[in-house]
Amino acid sequence: MRPSFFHHLHPPTIPAAQARWRYTLAAGGTAIFLMLILGVTGILEMFYYVPNPQEAALSVQAITYHVPFGGFIRNLHYWAAQLLLIVSAIHLLRVVFTAAYSHPRRFNYLLGLGLFILVILLDFTGYILRWDQGVCWPLVTGTNLLKTIPLIGDFLYRITVGGGEACSTALLRFYTWHIFGLTVVVSILAFWHAFRVRRDGGIALPPPPLRADNTRISRNDLVRREVLAMFLVGIILILLASFLPAPIAPPMPESASIRLSVLQSVDSIRSSVEYPLSTSVDARAPWFFLWVQQMLKWSDPFLWGVLVPLGILATLALIPYIFPKPADSDIGRWFPKSNRLAQVTVAVISLFVVILTLVNR
Amino acid sequence: MRRLLTLSSFLFLLTFLLVWWMNSRALKPVELIPTLTGESEYCLTCHADLPEISASHPVKTFGCVSCHGGERLALDADLAHSTMRGGANPSDLSVVEASCGGTNCHSGSEAENRNHIQRVTTSVQSTYAGAIANIRFTFGAQTDLNAHFGINAVTDDETRTGITSLSTFDPSSEVNPFIKEFGKNCLTCHLNATPREGDVYARQTGCAACHTPLFDSPPIFGENGGSQKGVHTLTTAIPYTQCNACHNRGNYDLRTMTFDERADQPTNRLQGYYQPIAQFTKCEYTLDCVDCHTRSEVMGDGDIHANQKDIQYVQCKTCHGTPTELPLTKTLTDPNDIVFTLAFLNPVIDLKLGDTILITEKGEPLWNIRALSDGTYEMFGKATSQYFTFNPVMGSSCTQTGEDQSSSYCHGCHAVER
Amino acid sequence: MTDLSRRDILKLFRAGFLYLSGALAFGGLLRFLDFDPNPAPKTEFDLGPAADYPLNTRTFLSDPPAVLLHTKKGFSALSLVCTHLGCTVEHNSDGFSCPCHASRFDADGNVTHGPADKSLHSLRMEISKDDRLILHLD
Repeated sequence: MRPSFFHHLHPPTIPAAQARWRYTLAAGGTAIFLMLILGVTGILEMFYYVPNPQEAALSVQAITYHVPFGGFIRNLHYWAAQLLLIVSAIHLLRVVFTAAYSHPRRFNYLLGLGLFILVILLDFTGYILRWDQGVCWPLVTGTNLLKTIPLIGDFLYRITVGGGEACSTALLRFYTWHIFGLTVVVSILAFWHAFRVRRDGGIALPPPPLRADNTRISRNDLVRREVLAMFLVGIILILLASFLPAPIAPPMPESASIRLSVLQSVDSIRSSVEYPLSTSVDARAPWFFLWVQQMLKWSDPFLWGVLVPLGILATLALIPYIFPKPADSDIGRWFPKSNRLAQVTVAVISLFVVILTLVNR
Repeated sequence: MRRLLTLSSFLFLLTFLLVWWMNSRALKPVELIPTLTGESEYCLTCHADLPEISASHPVKTFGCVSCHGGERLALDADLAHSTMRGGANPSDLSVVEASCGGTNCHSGSEAENRNHIQRVTTSVQSTYAGAIANIRFTFGAQTDLNAHFGINAVTDDETRTGITSLSTFDPSSEVNPFIKEFGKNCLTCHLNATPREGDVYARQTGCAACHTPLFDSPPIFGENGGSQKGVHTLTTAIPYTQCNACHNRGNYDLRTMTFDERADQPTNRLQGYYQPIAQFTKCEYTLDCVDCHTRSEVMGDGDIHANQKDIQYVQCKTCHGTPTELPLTKTLTDPNDIVFTLAFLNPVIDLKLGDTILITEKGEPLWNIRALSDGTYEMFGKATSQYFTFNPVMGSSCTQTGEDQSSSYCHGCHAVER
Repeated sequence: MTDLSRRDILKLFRAGFLYLSGALAFGGLLRFLDFDPNPAPKTEFDLGPAADYPLNTRTFLSDPPAVLLHTKKGFSALSLVCTHLGCTVEHNSDGFSCPCHASRFDADGNVTHGPADKSLHSLRMEISKDDRLILHLD
C-alpha cells in the first residue's frame, strides 16, 4: 500500500536489528503510546472534573459512578499512568544495560531523564487531584520538603502550591500544573526526544562497519510492529481498567473534627459533651514515593528527601559523561563488558529503591 | 505478522465489546433528591427495600444522608458507607449532634420543645451521675454526695440545679479497688455503653436504645431466640421490653462489685416484667413503662441532676389522685399544642380540641389519658393500644392518707400475686 | 468474481475489526459526553401562604421570573421570560417590553410588537392543603 502520514513519520527503511523486541522491549514506543492515552483520557475527564476543594472528590465520584463509561475512562487514565512509570523505568534500565546512551545519544539520554522526572511529577499531581482523605499527608510532607531547600525553598513552595496551607489551597495550582504546566513541558521534551532518536540515527546500534547483521526492514513493516504493540498494550490496559478499579476514598474533610450536617447550627447548643474523635489515618505515600517515605523515617528531611534523590538523579545524568565510555561494538548488546560500572551502579540504585519500597509496604 | 495483526485486532475488538457488556450490566442508579437538602443521593440503588423509618422522617424529605452521613454519590458499598456516622446507628451519642441536631430538628430551643439532644446528654440515664457519686462517696473518693463525674463530660450553661458541669469518670485514675471494679463491671447500662453480652441485653446505643425496637412484637424472655440488631424504625410506642434490656435484669452486689443476673426464666409478661423480688400492681405490668414515666423523667429536663430521685417524680396519685384531690387535668384549647403532635406520632387516641387530658405535677401532658364527662377516665396503652377506664381515688373506699406515696403503701392492698 | 487472496481477506477482516472497534469507541465517547451531572432544576416553587397575596394585587417574582395576579377569578401567573430568546421582560404602564430585541407584550402577555411571535406563558398555580401557593413551571 502507499505510505500514509504515519508511515512517513518513519524512515523508509531501518536496520532490522533496531526493531527487534528482544532488544528494545518496545519500551520507548509503549511509553509514547501510553502518553497519548493519558492525554485523551485526561481531556475527557476534564469535562466533568471540578477543581475546587469542596467539589473535587465529589466530581471524581460522579465520573466513577455516574458518567457513562466514566469509571472506565478514569481507570484507563490511572492504569496508563502507573504503567507509564513502570515502562519508563524499564526503558531507562534497557538504555543503560545496552549501552545505548553513548555518543551521539548522550543529550537525548538527558532528555529522557527529564521526561522520567516529569512523568513522576505528573503522577503525583494527578494523584493529589483526587482530593480525598488519603492525599493530605503526602501533599503536606511532599510540599514541605520543598521548604527545606535553603535559599529558594519558600519560593519553590509558593510556585508549586500557591502559598497557604497545602491541604486547603494547593488544589487549583496542582490542577493547572497537571493539565497544562507539566503537560506542555512533557510534550515538548517528548517531541524533542523522538526527534533526536531519528536525528541520532535511530535506535542505538554500533557504527555500520561494526554491525554483524545488515538486513533492513521497510517503514511499513516497522509500522506493523508498532501497531501490533499498540494492540497488545491496549488490550492489557482495557482489561486492567475493566477489572481493577482506580483507588477512590471519601473526600477530604473540611475540618479535622466531625463533619457537621446541613442542618447544623452551633449557636443553639446550650450544653456540650466531649467525645473522643477518632482521626487515625494510615498515612502512606503513593506507591512510587514509598521509597522516599522510608528514607524520611531515618533523619534529616533535606538530606533524605531532597539531596539523596537529587544525588541519584545526578549520578544517572552523569553516566554518559563521567563513567567509562562503552565500546562502539558493545552498543545494542545486553549487559556488555565495557560499561559494567554503569550497569552495576544503576542496578544498585534500582535495588535500593525497590527494597525500600517493599520494606515500607 | 499479518495474521498476528488480524488476530490482535480481533482481540482488540473483543475488549471493546467486553467494556460495553460490562457497562450494560452495571447497577442502574436510583436517584433521590430530598427536599431538605436538594442534593441527589443514590442510597436507594441498593436499599430501596428498607421501610420508611417513621411518619415524621419521610425519606422524600430527609433523604438518607442527612441523618446517616455517607457518600451520597457512591455506588460502591465500601465507599458509600465509609463516612457514615455511628456505623448503622447515627443516633449513637458520639455522633448524634451531627445526625439528629440542628435548630429545626433535635438540638433547637427548649421553648420549641426541640432540645432533645441537650436533654438526653445531660440526663441521668446518660451521665449515670448519681451512681458514680454514690459509689465514690461510699468508698471514700469524695466527701459529699454531689455529682462531679459522669460517663462523659457535660456542661450546662443555663443550669437550674446549680450543677454546671460534670467531668469524665475515669476508673483507671481511681485509687480504691472497689471503684475500679465498679468501673469494670457496672457501666454497661447507660446510653453510651455497648450492652452486656447476651441476647436479653441486646439494644442499640444513643437515641435508638429506646426508640428503635429490637423485635417486631414485644418478646417474652426465652421465647424470642436471637438478638436482632434492630429494624429500621423510630417509634415513640416503646414497649416495656425495650426498657428491660437494662432495667429489671438483676441487681448489683456492692460487696463483690458485680452484677447478679436474675435467675428466673419467665415465659409471660406477668412473670417477665419485673424481677421475682418486686411488688407491683396490675397497672404496673399491664401498661408499659412509657405509659407512666414521662419524657422529662426518661430523657431529662435539660439540667444536670445529681441523682435519679431528683428527676423521677411520677407517682400513683399522678393519674389516680388522692382521697381528697382529683388528678390534675388540662383542657386542650391550642391547636398547636404539642400533645397533638405526640398523638399523631403514636395514634392510639384521637385527641380533639376541647378534650381534657391528665397532666403531671410539672405540667407534662399524659396525652393518652382523657377525662370523661362522667368523672371517670379513659386510657389507651401507648405500646399496646389497649383500652382502659378507671375511677379516681376520690369518692372510692380507699383508706389512703394521700401524703404517703411510698411504694409499699398502695401496693399493700393492690399488689398482684404471681 | 476476481480471486481474493488470503492476504486480501486478512486485510478485509483487519479493517473490519478496526472499524468496528472505532465505532464502539466513538459510540462510547458520545455516551460519555452526553451526561448532565447537575441536579434537575426546580419546577415547583412554594410562594408562601396565599394570604400574603391579597385580592387585586400584582406581585413580581424574580425566581422564577413571573408576575403573580390575584383577581376575582382567582390566582394566575404570567411568565416574564420572553418567548423570543429568553430574556426577562420589563414591565411598564401598558404591559411588558423586552430589553434585548424590543419585543412588546400587553398586560395579558399577548404580543403587540417585535420579533417574538408567541404570547407570554401562563404558569399553573395550585393552592396546597395548608393554604400555601405553589407555582408550577410545567
